[in-house]
Amino acid sequence: MVTALLLGTLYGLIIGLIPAAGATTGLVILFGFMSYFTDPYLGVVFCMATVAASTTGDTYSGVLLGIPGANSSAATMVDGHPLAKQGKATYALTAAITTSTINGLLWGTLTFALLPWYMNLMMIFGVPELWAFTMLALACVGFVSNKFWVRSIIAIIIGTFLGMIGVDPVTNADRWTFGWDYLADGIQIMPMVAGLFAIPEILDGLKKGSATTQPHDTRGQTWDGIKATWKYKWDALRGGAIGAFVGFLPGIGGGVADWMAYGSTLAAHPNEEFGKGNIRGVIGPEGSNNAQKATSMIPTVLFGIPGASFAAVLIALFMYLGFELGTPDLAADTKFFSALTYGFMWGTVLVAAVCIALNKYICRISYVPYKYYFPLLVGFVVWACAQYTGGWEDYAILLLCSLLGVFGKAYKYSRPAMLMAFILSYKVETLTIQMSALYTWETLMTRPIFIGLILLIIILFGLSLKNNKLEYS
Amino acid sequence: MKKLLALLIVAISTTAFADYTFVIPQKPGGGTSQWAQIIAEQLEPFLGEKIVLLHQPGARDIPGFNNWHNDMRDDDKVVMVSHGGNGVAFLQENVDYNYDEYTSIGLMNLNIIAGKRIGADMDYPKFAAGSGQTPEAWAMAMLICGPTDDHREMVFYAACFKEHVTWVSGMSGSERRLAFKRGELTGTRENPAAYKKHVGGDDKAEVWFHHGILQADGSHADDINHPGFQMEILYEEMWGVKPEGEFYNAYKLVKSFRDGMQKALWVNKGNPNAFALQNALTAMSQDADAVKAIQKKVGQYDWLIGADGDAHRDTLMSFITKDALQDLVWFNTRALGLASVYKEELLK
Repeated sequence: MVTALLLGTLYGLIIGLIPAAGATTGLVILFGFMSYFTDPYLGVVFCMATVAASTTGDTYSGVLLGIPGANSSAATMVDGHPLAKQGKATYALTAAITTSTINGLLWGTLTFALLPWYMNLMMIFGVPELWAFTMLALACVGFVSNKFWVRSIIAIIIGTFLGMIGVDPVTNADRWTFGWDYLADGIQIMPMVAGLFAIPEILDGLKKGSATTQPHDTRGQTWDGIKATWKYKWDALRGGAIGAFVGFLPGIGGGVADWMAYGSTLAAHPNEEFGKGNIRGVIGPEGSNNAQKATSMIPTVLFGIPGASFAAVLIALFMYLGFELGTPDLAADTKFFSALTYGFMWGTVLVAAVCIALNKYICRISYVPYKYYFPLLVGFVVWACAQYTGGWEDYAILLLCSLLGVFGKAYKYSRPAMLMAFILSYKVETLTIQMSALYTWETLMTRPIFIGLILLIIILFGLSLKNNKLEYS
Repeated sequence: MKKLLALLIVAISTTAFADYTFVIPQKPGGGTSQWAQIIAEQLEPFLGEKIVLLHQPGARDIPGFNNWHNDMRDDDKVVMVSHGGNGVAFLQENVDYNYDEYTSIGLMNLNIIAGKRIGADMDYPKFAAGSGQTPEAWAMAMLICGPTDDHREMVFYAACFKEHVTWVSGMSGSERRLAFKRGELTGTRENPAAYKKHVGGDDKAEVWFHHGILQADGSHADDINHPGFQMEILYEEMWGVKPEGEFYNAYKLVKSFRDGMQKALWVNKGNPNAFALQNALTAMSQDADAVKAIQKKVGQYDWLIGADGDAHRDTLMSFITKDALQDLVWFNTRALGLASVYKEELLK
């Protein structure tokens, strides 16, 4: 188990350090290696350590190069990179890592220690509540995560269409396969995630991939970074709370939480200047990302509804290992929960210790020119996506999804919305069928959680139309 | 070209040390995939050769079996792993594979158990739909509606089924289990091992009925683990007569094809390695450690190996009649809403 933890952490850290990579890309690549885990619980430890370590590690490229390691470090970059240019990279990195670790551990404890207890929710959440929760997920991604809400709706329609390709749940007949047998099993999650996220980010990294700061003097900066976390602890905790809340809402990625945390930091300090190297601008968003990763496991494990795009890949990976998330059997599997907790918590601690102790050396990895990573990343992602049948169809689907992802990124059609609609559309359809078979309007109106969730969707919709300014796509 | 590609995939997927390939018609992690993995691990020492699993997933697990049938079965080292769902699809969907053309290495003859919520009104059950649940729908219709003198027997059962049963489409296995635990569904079904795991320990649930275990003479025997709950026995107790008629014949056909070949290993007829595989499987099934390892993962099932497997398959094929096939498709389409097709060629 220790070996899985160490390797998962090391792998996650390396993935995090690579510009434009991140947890989702790292997990997509893992798909090709899942068969090597003879003990599935070791696979869970490895995956969770990867998530924790890559989330911490992706700060490096944002701060040092001005290229976010993943969406979740883009907000950190705004003030982190100017600090690096001023020769204070270690100061910024240490503050970021310390904040990220503390919030990861805090919210990780609250999430994983209580996750078996949260499983009781599964018995309270019936078909109507699951339907409403799924609709809430769609509403969150579509309307909360992107100010271009018309484009979000278009993205949702595209995702819905793609998600409904396969089999009609009522007749069991093929649907929208255009005579292509390969599509009768639906578009697979791996090429969809890789095409929408990994490939566009990798291509983006190639475009931006050049170092803009030089290796720096670390004397005294490490301790200053730790002290800054304590000094600005309320910014760190506020960021963590925002990340935890957003993580719990299914379907919203780390980028959203980070920008919200960054925005709240700005709002809390209206008289301070940001964007030119304010350490609060690093601590605020960094508080959110590991917390968000932890709490997004709640809807993911409980209902099989991914808390974020990385969690969508986790669901597929865990399925490969024999763990079907969102099922009652899992509630009794204490070993599974232990593996989740062990991988995430120790991965968080370990990567922080390694980063702070070996900061100077780790920085050098970020300076390796991107052109060396590029072929490796593309190769691994393509290979991972071709694990479904190994046939040309796998490559064709990945290519089509990649074109869609590049287009969505360029023209700000919310890719998280598209992915969530893709994942949830079949669920929405089947839950609607189930709800209409099992319930009437009268019986639905006696369910307070269902009514509450519907009201929440309406409120979110109203608020997002009025207030949303995020441009995350 | 297609054949060449398929063989190329087999070649690439197997290592230099791999001597046998088991083709599995689903993704890694699926029930049959897990079963094949444990069987392959246990079989290898008795076979003396390596076994590699080749996953060929696709809709309703049909494309993998079709691929093997069309492009791979001539390879003496490639074995097909099938399950009960393939048996149901064979009867009512346009598939390429045909059990008549293969030699059985071994198969597991299984029963399916239906459970119910204690105290629920089972004259009006709520049950998850799907092609996998087809035999339960037929059994429910007979238990609830009883015998009929109506000369339009199929119409009678279809109408009665629609009136009494809330047939809930679109539920996966896990959703079905959860909905049953919550009481949203009042009935569910599982194989014996899964029943023990998911329903057996639930103090608010009990056995409703089971389909019985197919015998060599074509009859179905009671399950010693759930005595007295076989559909035929319950029917006779409730209605005072044995079940019979065209509806019952079609029920027997579909339940037998699903449960009678729940997990099976096939090679092409005339495969020179069939004997070696059958011998290895016999040795494995008699080895206490191997049996223990298999039972730990997949539950306790009886093996029918080699000639016994072929005879079992032949018994199943004898259930296929024009009336039974037509009735199966008619009820599936009209009462269950499934897109079933009548396959005249099965009568040849």
